[in-house]
Order: sequence, then structure tokens, then C-alpha cells
Amino acid sequence: MKKAKITIQGMHCASCASNTEKSLSKVAGVKSAKVSLLLKKGYVECEDNINEDELKKAVKRAGYGVKSIEYE
Amino acid sequence: MHEMKEMKTDKGEEHGHDEHNHDAPVEDEEIRDWKKKMVGSWIFAIPIALLMFSERIFGLELFVPRVTTTILLALGLPVLFFFGWSTIRGGLRGLFTFYFNMDSLIALGTLVAYFTGLFSLFFSIQDYSGVSAMIMAFYITGKYVEAKARGRASQEIKKLLELGAKKARILKGNKEIEVDISEIKIGDILVIRPGEKIPTDGIVVKGESSIDESMVTGESLPTEKRKGSNVIGATINQDGILYVKATKIGKDTFLAHIIKLVEEAQSEKVPIQVLADKITSIFVPAVLILAILTFGGWIYFTSDISKSIAASVAVLVIACPCALGLATPTALMVGSGMGSKKGILIRKGEAIQTIKNVKTIVFDKTGTITKGKPEVTNIYSKVKENYLLEIAACVERFSEHPIAKAIVEKAKLKKFREVKGFKILRGRGVEGRVGKSDIVIGNRTLMNEKKVSFKDFEKEIEKFESQGKTTMIVAENGKAIGIIAVADALKEDSVLAIASLNKQGYRTIMITGDNERTAKAIAKQCGISEVIANVLPEDKAKKVQELQKSGFVAFVGDGINDAPALKQSNVGIAMGSGTDIAIESGDLVLAKNSLEGVVQAINLSKATFGKIKQNLFWAFAYNTIAIPVAVAGLLHPVVAEIAMALSSITVVTNANLLRRKKI
Repeated sequence: MKKAKITIQGMHCASCASNTEKSLSKVAGVKSAKVSLLLKKGYVECEDNINEDELKKAVKRAGYGVKSIEYE
Repeated sequence: MHEMKEMKTDKGEEHGHDEHNHDAPVEDEEIRDWKKKMVGSWIFAIPIALLMFSERIFGLELFVPRVTTTILLALGLPVLFFFGWSTIRGGLRGLFTFYFNMDSLIALGTLVAYFTGLFSLFFSIQDYSGVSAMIMAFYITGKYVEAKARGRASQEIKKLLELGAKKARILKGNKEIEVDISEIKIGDILVIRPGEKIPTDGIVVKGESSIDESMVTGESLPTEKRKGSNVIGATINQDGILYVKATKIGKDTFLAHIIKLVEEAQSEKVPIQVLADKITSIFVPAVLILAILTFGGWIYFTSDISKSIAASVAVLVIACPCALGLATPTALMVGSGMGSKKGILIRKGEAIQTIKNVKTIVFDKTGTITKGKPEVTNIYSKVKENYLLEIAACVERFSEHPIAKAIVEKAKLKKFREVKGFKILRGRGVEGRVGKSDIVIGNRTLMNEKKVSFKDFEKEIEKFESQGKTTMIVAENGKAIGIIAVADALKEDSVLAIASLNKQGYRTIMITGDNERTAKAIAKQCGISEVIANVLPEDKAKKVQELQKSGFVAFVGDGINDAPALKQSNVGIAMGSGTDIAIESGDLVLAKNSLEGVVQAINLSKATFGKIKQNLFWAFAYNTIAIPVAVAGLLHPVVAEIAMALSSITVVTNANLLRRKKI
């Protein structure tokens, strides 16, 4: 289990954040996803072998861009 | 003085923007972007407004209707499809991918209105194209104001990000080399002159000075530092040159931890928000359906297509879940930002909601109410005092307990005698063999356990205990030979803080391993009425659990020994001191080591939660009132858009007002 911090571009309303959150939660290997509209960040708890592209795609699917992903 | 100030600017601010700034400007970029769009859209929207007003209100027909409509369409084109393009595009994409967002509503509303203009050239239908441009212009303006207010809400956090030093001076041989902060390695010796920022966490190897740590811990008084003291990065050296060995760098520093905590606090969910979140997530599709129903209903009852369009456009643009979505996070952001300035960190969003139900506050004694640095105050002995101290110190040397340290300190031995079979008897004392003597040092429980009689000392022990001193009995070969009394002074602000909590109606309780008499004496000194004494460290959590039967309990402790009790309590308030901050175990974490922080943390949590409730109320009220009015066709679409923009702005501005609260 690891944590990913995704910096997201283009979100500007509450439903943007909740859409992104939903989209991220659906990615295989993601245990939980929290998206903060104010910080423009997504906090994702996921399996160690998570496919980063899938996370990026999920954000894109909701209509937004990924600026960076950091892990810890 | 003047020179010091100059140096400070030189080190602190001038290099201010090359570190950490990957986080802060996102917001500024957004504000700039909205501003450009806003100015651009109004250049076209103002003539539109003038044209519309002159016709509708003053009945001035400057042009024939067809020409007017063409002009409106032409002026509206850039507003919608250039300045508003990102909104329209995002909204339409949302409609096609079923990830509806607020843009979907605005895009649909403005496009429908705009096309009425085109149709009006050929059919008999009211032209709403001017209205569509006005809606977009107001929407963009609202976004700009909201982005600005949000920027204000995060100002403390931005300041925190910029707090770190940018450059450092490393001692290499006899030379001092200036390097970037990122080039420091653990073990480097850093030279810090008066007025400069400490570059990173470390330990003083040479020099003496006082340091202003207020920006990180919220502690307002400067802290004295000498050889062996820990220093925190980003704090400011005041009056002496310090040589500091770097012990933590980059992500491991105290400041980095605090920043991370404050950041994480922003994304914490407060339980009260759950309903708002649920509504937000189904809001947009629900409104889309409602808009269609409104249109259908109006057509059915009035057969007036223009009125039907106006009503459904009003529904589309007024129903924005934004105020609902912003209500909690903005208040939490302002609250946690205010807290970070005072060294109060909200780690669990839930805590600020739970804390209002707390009736009982349990304080750990040592290190929480008291300084945690006991000193030997009295020795009463049947043998020579020096001998008593010597053997006591020899045995206690192996214990980490603060009382043991006090005894060792007092004895000031140059050489320690050998100790065999040393054992710590948790919560009771220690034992060991010095030469031919079996030494036991500890409290009554231990003496009873070892069947040592201390009748001869009982009177003295009671006297010391009633003064709030902890008394250790020293026994040699099964016989009590003397007692050592240790006092742990109260922290300066404990009395005031507890008085203020008592006044607020909390039941305050002190929990300690001390015996009843000592504990009661200390409790009396600081104004606590109830005492739970003789508690072994591992039993504190159990006691908290018992108290929870009669209501919510907050526990205040140091986070290292008290971790289980902090976890057990409904709200765990962990106190840190310097760099030893027990982050993991507290719901609220105090960076400063004082009870004043507890009062502030409680006040801050209550104020923040109050703001959240207020915000949610306004957001709900707005939506429940505005939507029916729009459905009824009583709201002009432009007025609807203005109301929508105002609702978000109100919520964010109201969150910013939290700053006025004194905590």
C-alpha cells in the first residue's frame, strides 16, 4: 500500500472535485481517493504496483489534467 | 539593530522564491487567468448591457430588431466562444462523458440562450442572446472573485511554504561556503549569524544564542540554545553566532512535517460535510433533469416557448453546487491556516466536530501540566546524605525516567560505582546491586511489595507529598535508609489555561502515576478538581475508557508515553516540545509545549466548526430557495447567474471572516 499525491489542473468547482474523486476510485488497485478542490490535489491510497498511466487516464476521463504525481 | 534587519531581509526574503514555489503560484495563475477573461468579456458585455437596457427600460429603439439581434449575436460571440470557451468546452465534454460538472450547466444555459438569438432572426421568438453573454460575463466575474477569496483563505499556508531558509553557510575546514539549502548534507556544520534563519534541523555544537521559534511552534518567547540544544529549521537566530550540525534535511525536517500536516488537514473530511458531498455529486444531473421538466411544464401550461426557455435557463444557471462544495473546505483551510500560525495542527478533520461534544478533559501530569523536568528538593536520611545520594544515583543512572535523571543530576558524581542486576520495575521504581548492598528505590507500592518497612519516614513522606512532591524511598538490604523528594514545577501557563477551561464548564481531571496526596497537591496548585492517581502508564487508556461511559473525553498528553490514551479518547490532543512532536497519535497536535495551546486548539476547533455550519446553512438555504423560484419562472436568467456567483463568494468570504475570531 502506498500513497500517491496527484497535482491536478483545471478543476474549479465542487463537482469537478467529486467527479475526479469518483473516477480515481474506480481505478483498479486504488483503495481510497480524496480530491481537494482548494489544493488542486488528489490523495490516493493504492497498491504498490499501481499503474500510473491508469491514474492519469482517470483524471483525464473526468476532464482534467495531471501536472505531477508524487509517491510516499 | 539596523544591520540585523538588513541581514534578515538578505537571507530570508530576497532569495524568497526559488524553493518550494511549485505549490503556491497555482492559485495566482488561476486568478490571473480569470482576470484576463473577466476584463475581456466585459469589454463586449458592457455594450450589450447598454443596448439591452436602452431598449427594455427606456424603450429606445436604436436599431430595427433584426439589426439589434445581429449586433448582440456578434458582441456575444467572443464572450461565449473565446473568453468563455474553456467553460463551454469543459461543460460540453462533461455532457458527453457523463462526468457532469458545473460548467455543463453554464454551457447548456448560455448556448440555449445564445441560439434563441439566431432563431429569432427567422422565427417569432424572444431573443436571449444578450442574456447569454451577460450570464457568461457574470459567471467569469464570480469565478475571479471566488479564486481571489480562495487565495486569501490559503495565505497562511503559502507563508508556511515560503518560511524555509533558501541559503546556508557551511563550514568546510576554516572556510565558510554559501550553498543552496538543497545541498546541505546530514552532518554538515552550519554557521548561523544573528538575524539569520536556521537553515535546517540540527544540534548546536558551538555558540550560545536565543532563537525565535514562534513562526514554527507558536511559542512567543525566544528559546535559549547552547551546545547540545536542538534547533529547528526556519526559526530565527537572535543574538549570538551558532554552529549547528545538520541532523535532518529535506522532507524529514520539522517544518516539512508541519507543512505536510497542514496540507493534509485541508483534504480531511468533516462528518457534517457528508450530506453536502452526496448532494454535490448528484446535483448536476438532477438539475439537468429539473431544467428539462421546467421547460416541459411551462410549454404544457403556457405554450409560450420564450418563457419556457427563460425559466429553464434560469434553473440551469442558478443551481450551482459550488457553495455547498466550498462551505467546508474553505472554512477548514482558514482554520488550519490560523492554527498553524499558533502551532496548532488539525490532523483529523473529525476532531473539530467531535470536540463540541467533549465534556471531560483529562490531562497527563508529567510534561503536560508540569514542566516534566523534576528537581530534587529535599533529602531526609538516616545515613549520610552524600552516601544516600551516591548509591541512589549509581542505580538510577540506568533509568530514563525523569525522576531518575533528577537524582543523577543532583548527585553530580564524577565516578559511578558498578551496578549489577539492574531492573526497572515499571511505574514503581528500580533495583540493583551496588557492592554488597541490594538497593531498591521506589514508591510505597514497591516497598510494600519488597516488604520494606518505612514507618520511620512516614511523617516526612506525608509532609513532602502534601507539598506536591514525589517522594522516593531508598532501601538498602531490605531496610529503608532515606527518602528523596522531587518536585516537578508547573508550567507557567498551566494555571491560567486550566482556569479558563474550568470557566468554560469542562470537567478537568489530572491523571498520574503519583500517589494520591502528591497528585492532589499538584492538582490544587493548578486548579484541577479531580485526580486519578496511582495509574500505571499502560492503564491510562483504560481509565479514559471508563470515563467515556459518561460522555466524550479529550486527552491531553505528550504523545510518546500517552499514545494509547490519546487514541482511546474521543479527541486526542498531543503536545510536542521542540522537535519531538508526536504527530501520529494526536487528532490535534500542538507544536508548542504549553497548555495555553490546548485552550486555543479547542477555541479554534469550535470556531472553525461553527463557520462550517454557518456556511452549509447558507449554501443549503440558497439552493432550496433559489431553485423553486427559478422553476416558477420568477427569476430573470441574468439575476439568477448573479445570485449564483454571489452564493459562492459569500461562502468563501464568510470563511475568511473566521480570522476575526480571537483564539
